[in-house]
Amino acid sequence: MMEKENNSIHNSAFALLPWVIPTVFIILWTVISETGLIPTYLLPHPVEIGKAGYTYIFRNPGDAPFAGRFLNDAGASLIRVCSGFAVAVILGIPLGIISGRLASVRKLMSTTINALRAVPGISWLPLAMIWFGIGIKTTIFLVALAAFFPIYLNAAAGARQISPLLLQAGAMMGVNRLRGTFAILLPGAMPHIMTGLRLGLGISWAYLVLGELTGVPNGLGAVIMDARMLGRIDIIVVGIIIIAVMGRAGDQLLKTSLRFCFKSARRMS
Amino acid sequence: MKPKLAPVYKVKPEARETILWIKNLRKVFRTNGSFLTVLDDVHFYAKSGEMICIFGRSGCGKSTLLKILAGFLSPSSGTVLLNGKPVTTPGPDRCVVFQEDTLFPWLTVKENIAFGLRGRIKDKKTIWEEVEHFLSLVGLSEFRDYLPREISGGMKQRVALARVLILKPQVLLMDEPFASLDAQTREEMQNLLLSLWKKLSHTVLFVTHDVNEAITLADRILLMDKSPGRIRDEIRVDLPRPRKKEKSEFLFFSSKLYERLRE
Repeated sequence: MMEKENNSIHNSAFALLPWVIPTVFIILWTVISETGLIPTYLLPHPVEIGKAGYTYIFRNPGDAPFAGRFLNDAGASLIRVCSGFAVAVILGIPLGIISGRLASVRKLMSTTINALRAVPGISWLPLAMIWFGIGIKTTIFLVALAAFFPIYLNAAAGARQISPLLLQAGAMMGVNRLRGTFAILLPGAMPHIMTGLRLGLGISWAYLVLGELTGVPNGLGAVIMDARMLGRIDIIVVGIIIIAVMGRAGDQLLKTSLRFCFKSARRMS
Repeated sequence: MKPKLAPVYKVKPEARETILWIKNLRKVFRTNGSFLTVLDDVHFYAKSGEMICIFGRSGCGKSTLLKILAGFLSPSSGTVLLNGKPVTTPGPDRCVVFQEDTLFPWLTVKENIAFGLRGRIKDKKTIWEEVEHFLSLVGLSEFRDYLPREISGGMKQRVALARVLILKPQVLLMDEPFASLDAQTREEMQNLLLSLWKKLSHTVLFVTHDVNEAITLADRILLMDKSPGRIRDEIRVDLPRPRKKEKSEFLFFSSKLYERLRE
């Protein structure tokens, strides 16, 4: 009985653990702002950030600069991230699985992939702007390019590490190639695939902002750039926080939906 | 789909038909430019419903032999004929129970057992009825919803046995399946195998290096030599089952087998 109570206290404490660092961070920030150690033009007071965030998210457009832009910006950014990520998934997972299983394909791809992977995304930006112009296409290109590598590499590693005995077991039970791919390869590689997707989605947000820094009219990256030009550091911080929150929520959503859709994701991680 | 109820073992051995022929099998591996003959001129047959133990020390090529029979490896020369047809690829007529754990870790016990049937039967109800039947045959009905990582090594081998028996293989190939189990569990598994064999009357080729295991199980023991691996001798074990290790007849066979092993 006693033990049980201890356990439940322990569990609720455990559930709070992820919020410890953000809370401490905000407290420290407040204390520093209150003491005036850092001038507000470098780091505004958290309450100011809260006010700016409220204006940005909830007030009607036209009431104040940046008021009510949130929905429009977040929607535009979400569409860009999702399309770019989707392109990366559609190319990355099949190619990764194939090159994980076939040594010839792996050999064929390895130099190219590893060379391209070494090029920082930012160096693609000028080229992408010449190819696709300023706007959604450039951003989708950058996001897809960046997210492709972790997705591809992890899918390949996942497909490669599957025990040949599992494939032999499948073959002796009369499993053909097609069924083997979906019933053995994909579930067997699922923990790796999941890691790749999460890394890929994370990096998608980074390249989203890069793609939006180039003068598109809307999007979370665009807001940050506009705010910098107008010297609104509070809005810059609001933009950063919103991207952080959306990135975290997106990761959770990805994890949950994979677990919902696939037994292997549910049972092996 | 229900198992045959007239066990073949009641038919006299002479009256059974030969279903598996292994002829002049030879397997050479090439390593760093040199050749290693693992199997040389392996020649034997198996009758329907027979329990054959392939007995030999580690490294004598008995696992290689089994892999060729399963279709995972192709021989350098020679043929394997099942019902007159040459064996070239793996297939559900020759199922393997591996020594290692080869259950799919993302499937529950019952899903693992249903795995092979799903490819050939569309009707879900039939599949689950069959699965329930085989779950109870291997005594795992209560564990149907467990994952492989949640059950013991012995239970895993029961699942491995059930998932292939449900496919009604003509030949069951067992590659030291109980070698990594503790002595007591191993004995339980041997008894389980014998009782299932009586009920389902499939042909069994059982690879082992354990003298007692070979004598407990086999109708015939094929004694394998090392480098190159070939079948040196055949011992017919005509003891009534169940065979008790303490009986003098059993001891007679085990001393005979040890003696042949030393030759």
